[in-house]
Amino acid sequence: MISAIYNFALTTGANRVIRGARIEHVCGDPTLSPEKDYAFGMRIVTTALETLTIAVPGPTLFDPMAPGKTQEAAHAS
Amino acid sequence: MRLEMGTFPVTDIAFGSRTRYDAGRLTVDRETVLAAVRQDPRIAKAELEIARPGESVRIWPVRDVIEPRIKVEGPGVCYPGICGREIATVGEGRTHRLAGMGVVEVSSVNWHDAGGDYVETYLDMSGPYGEMYPYRKLVNLCLVVEPDATLGEEIKNYAVHKAALTVADQLGEAVRSLTPPEREVFELTPADPGLPRVVYIWCVHSPQAMSGSPTAFCTTTYGLTQLTPPWYLHPNEILDGALTGPYRTAFAMSWTVANNPLFLDLYRRHGKDWNFLGVISLRTEWTTQTEKQLMANQTAKLARQLGAQGAVVTWDAGGNEFIEVVRSIQACERLGIKTVFLTSEDDATDGAPTMLEPLPEADAIVSTSFFKNVTLAVPEAPAVSRVIGLPTKRVLRGSSVGLHGGADATLPTAGPLPPPWRYDDHYGFGSLSCIE
Repeated sequence: MISAIYNFALTTGANRVIRGARIEHVCGDPTLSPEKDYAFGMRIVTTALETLTIAVPGPTLFDPMAPGKTQEAAHAS
Repeated sequence: MRLEMGTFPVTDIAFGSRTRYDAGRLTVDRETVLAAVRQDPRIAKAELEIARPGESVRIWPVRDVIEPRIKVEGPGVCYPGICGREIATVGEGRTHRLAGMGVVEVSSVNWHDAGGDYVETYLDMSGPYGEMYPYRKLVNLCLVVEPDATLGEEIKNYAVHKAALTVADQLGEAVRSLTPPEREVFELTPADPGLPRVVYIWCVHSPQAMSGSPTAFCTTTYGLTQLTPPWYLHPNEILDGALTGPYRTAFAMSWTVANNPLFLDLYRRHGKDWNFLGVISLRTEWTTQTEKQLMANQTAKLARQLGAQGAVVTWDAGGNEFIEVVRSIQACERLGIKTVFLTSEDDATDGAPTMLEPLPEADAIVSTSFFKNVTLAVPEAPAVSRVIGLPTKRVLRGSSVGLHGGADATLPTAGPLPPPWRYDDHYGFGSLSCIE
């Protein structure tokens, strides 16, 4: 689940939660140029697809902007 | 900061040759009042009509209901900042109000053109639907107003709301130099240090995220609607309208903000049952997890700095805004500030919680019932004999599921009408109860 309010997604039990940008533009940023906006969105969506290949023990947060993003999963408390 | 509130009860309104107040009867010089409204070149059409309690009258579309208030002594103007009014800090001196009446802003202007929010409220002055709202007890002077159609949505909003405030100001002038029949002094006098110290956390929606504009029209703080960190307001500022203006729901109007029973009771019992510290007003609909948590943390920090031991919390919105509201409650509780939350509830379809994020710290909750009229099973409002405003009402699909088949439709305003989709009593005006 891609969500800007990722803590809420974790507490409701989504197993793989990908940090989105903002509620009004979860997979993009209108302040960026069209090219950068596309790259930004692709990074979020690609991260989401990659997480489908990763086994998780329970609700887990993935941050597309963190270096080594899929390894930086933070588990919900 | 000391404010004397002079109340002039209005029991009837009639049109006449001069605007004046006499023993509860308000006479309105219709042409002079309308001439003041029409001075604004942005106004294309303006008419005045009276709606009395008990009449078979429906008012549509209702954008706002305003209680006329004017500053008689002390700095500034009532309802400061909104629609370009001056922004001097209010709350001192003397204010006169016309109680028991409303200036109703009747206009087709929508809040903004970004979609998602629509003007949905209509009011009945009698019947079962009318009974659900406090406005049916008021004598209402309705300003039916339309702006120049070529203007942008934001300018249209400011033009029609300014027009309604102009009407309220004209009426207020009639009691400027009169002796008020009722007087009440509001002041945060030093209280017995043994009394519990209580703050009111009054959350109000910001339309900024949804509209994409930091100046979109909505309930304002001195005219500002944008997403801002929490404000500390002296309760007298609110009595003078520093927090005012309408938005989407029938209970988020200037009149309900000015007459919020929870706020007034908190203030009137200051020094008797508790030490009222004032109001923290938090703008809601921040759009990232970080921002929501930051606002919650800062709200709780401000409450602690004020010395609060207890906080009463309300909000006037729905959806994701619940997060910063409930997290403010959590943050207060974690700092040792006990909280009570007054809120409506969502329906419990498929066993879902009736609150978006139920947190264990929010364990003292006063429910004002379900927020959707569909969940409340509010029936269609019956036909009426007179309409003030537009002859037809667009009923949107999501607004009335189950009431007329769930399709979009344009219905005669005077005929049976489904209620707006939201009920949502933000401040505890209603008296709905339930049978287990």
